[in-house]
Amino acid sequence: MDTLVAQYTQPPFSHEGYTQDEQEDYAESIPPLSLKFALPPVDRPAQFLRAMTDDHSNPDCPIKIAHGTTTLAFRFKGGIIVATDSRATAGNWIASQTVKKVIEINPMLLGTMAGGAADCQYWLAYLGIQCRLHELRHKRRISVAAASKILANLVYSYKGMGLSMGTMITGVTPQEGPALYYIDSDGTRLAGNLFCVGSGQTFAYGVLDALYKYDLEDDEALELGKRSILAAQHRDAYSGGYINLYHVKEDGWVKHGFMDSNPIFWETKLEKGEFSNVTSHL
Amino acid sequence: MASLMHYASLHSENPAYSFSEASTIPHSEASAGPRQHAFYPYTDNGGSTLGITGETFAILAGDTRSTSGYNINTRYEPKVFRIGDDDSSPIVLSVVGFAADGKALKERLDTIVKMYKYQHGKPMSVKACAQRLSTILYQKRFFPYYVHAILGGLDEEGKGALYSYDPVGSYEREQCRAAGAAASLIMPFLDNQVNFKNQYVPGSGEGLSLKEKPREPLPLDAVVGIVKDAFTSATERHIEVGDGLQMILITKDGIKEMFTPLKRD
Amino acid sequence: MNHYPQAWGRPRNDVYGPYDHSYTHSAMPKTHTQSPAVTGTSVLGVKFKDGVVIAADNLASYGSLARFTDVKRIRTFAPNTVIGFGGDVSDMQYLDRLLQTLEINENYLSSSEHSLNARNLHTYLSKVMYKRRSDFNPLWNMMLIAGFDEDEKPFLASADLLGTTFSSPTLATGFGAHLAQPLLRRLMPNDEESVKDVTKEQAVDAVRACMKVLFYRDARSMDKYSIAVITKDGVDLKEDEKLENQSWAFADQIRGYGTQVN
Repeated sequence: MDTLVAQYTQPPFSHEGYTQDEQEDYAESIPPLSLKFALPPVDRPAQFLRAMTDDHSNPDCPIKIAHGTTTLAFRFKGGIIVATDSRATAGNWIASQTVKKVIEINPMLLGTMAGGAADCQYWLAYLGIQCRLHELRHKRRISVAAASKILANLVYSYKGMGLSMGTMITGVTPQEGPALYYIDSDGTRLAGNLFCVGSGQTFAYGVLDALYKYDLEDDEALELGKRSILAAQHRDAYSGGYINLYHVKEDGWVKHGFMDSNPIFWETKLEKGEFSNVTSHL
Repeated sequence: MASLMHYASLHSENPAYSFSEASTIPHSEASAGPRQHAFYPYTDNGGSTLGITGETFAILAGDTRSTSGYNINTRYEPKVFRIGDDDSSPIVLSVVGFAADGKALKERLDTIVKMYKYQHGKPMSVKACAQRLSTILYQKRFFPYYVHAILGGLDEEGKGALYSYDPVGSYEREQCRAAGAAASLIMPFLDNQVNFKNQYVPGSGEGLSLKEKPREPLPLDAVVGIVKDAFTSATERHIEVGDGLQMILITKDGIKEMFTPLKRD
Repeated sequence: MNHYPQAWGRPRNDVYGPYDHSYTHSAMPKTHTQSPAVTGTSVLGVKFKDGVVIAADNLASYGSLARFTDVKRIRTFAPNTVIGFGGDVSDMQYLDRLLQTLEINENYLSSSEHSLNARNLHTYLSKVMYKRRSDFNPLWNMMLIAGFDEDEKPFLASADLLGTTFSSPTLATGFGAHLAQPLLRRLMPNDEESVKDVTKEQAVDAVRACMKVLFYRDARSMDKYSIAVITKDGVDLKEDEKLENQSWAFADQIRGYGTQVN
């Protein structure tokens, strides 16, 4: 009876405005940790989202999200090398040539970015928060295995909703040594020695597989990372721009530059005689 | 032969996939069951925006035309807005795409920046505001704001700061960025004129030994000139750009708004 | 992973099912309660130096049927605001009730009476419209809101089912955006700066002329219309105007339709 009365005594048009909670969310200056996401009020939200944003199936889709990448990371005796290109594409449009696809989760951990740029940026920042909370709760650094699993479980809980990310989490810890995990938005989580992710991965694998061995010296490893990205940028239209190079060691990661790939390409060709399929004169 | 160059046509000459891939639903036949919602919640109001930073300033600009299809809704609908009311940390936002989403986004960020000041007793830094804008956009990840946003201001060192966003919140600090309908016309121009892309030092050699023209911070009047040239040129070649050019300049002395007419045809 | 690198990182058919194009169709909807049934056509609005003129015909169509021929689509709200509705008539009536409730509440709550000017109502309406579109439950209307702003300057702005808003010295919704707006813009060669040079008579004449043009060419229009002139003295609303001095002489010059090819 009370509910019946309540139903018929509410003021008319009461649903036209925003509720108190909605208004408080609206003005909240600190973003909520509780992962509240607005969903389109339709019967199949994931289908709606895909229709709006999948520029591969429908090049005329209204909202184009940045895509396209080559990223790689490999373990070797001196730690881990992480290297990426820097191009973001929306359809055939190059949205940016200066994307930072290596995400510095904290001074110890690195993540890479392939797939939806926003998904990677947001969830790796979220992972950074969780890692810091772990440190505060347990008074020691989180292991790379645990960090990667937080992310894998998280994206798995959103499976089928339309997230798109292929990321690698790397770090060196005393208990694990150099550790490298691949995580994607399907929920896959794999440990491994060597991964390449993105539209240019095949080209990077080609170079990396040919020259990789675990006992590389630091400078050899950095050069190999750089050369693999260069190969991918040369052959994959969706990769290009700059080469972003990092070396992860036990006391944290070291950045080895954000280098314009064009002069590196010509240097590689003219001084080392590689890329001899490319003519430099008519 | 040309069609082979275009990836979309690859699907018609479809070799086997490694997994079974059903073809996409043709336009005519809808998915199983009745379509519940034919309502389409987005529209594109056209127009273009751009932002450029210098050593001590940032400038954001946008044309003032609002369109729907081939109609001009109005010749004066600003796309560049002040965020917060604080002169010590001026922040400016430009939005282009679906105007109603843009307005909702602007008002939301504005509220948050003001609340931040009440709650913390200090103005929000541009860096913090940029990160917060990213999370606002991402909270609508599954029902995105159809906007391309550019945020401008001055960083902690007093240098010009510019952040550009995709519709779901991935962002990057940049020197210059064009967004909206004429982005593909304006952005290459900015690459060349602001970042000196593909400009070389004359007489520095030939072919591959050419030296790149060194990057240098541009003075304000040069940047204003570039902005005007970008928009007058885009107006010539894009139907959704024109009518008026609104520019907001951010320096340590505060914010200055300028308006220049553009061609109205 | 498949052999199309372009597809990598994008939703896969085996996970998300096939791409559904029907979501991206922006054509007018067909099903569900959320499609207009009984509709009104264009609304016109023009500012002049001491006010605003707004007009709409009295027809409510049911598809191509001229169903109701005496529907007032121009509504007034105290003290000095007028709203012209295009689109779904039931949603118009709902909004009318909503605004009347707002007006009554405002009268009870505020010490001074009638505190909402046209700009306030426009802001309020645009928020209602935007929230409804975000809930996928739109109010299927295009509206013009006319009156005065807080500086006592003429105010004219539009709000539609998506929550889009804009303002201009001359506005027209629906078919009027194509047919009437170019004619009305002749009054305002310099947009806002021209408003001070336009007299009430000029504005009224222009609107009446446009109503006639619309009747000639808009198949969902009618020759009976309402016109409101809003000045500081109040609203002068005439709800039973007839189009006068019609000339269909142009009709037999029309070529190229139906069987009449040449």
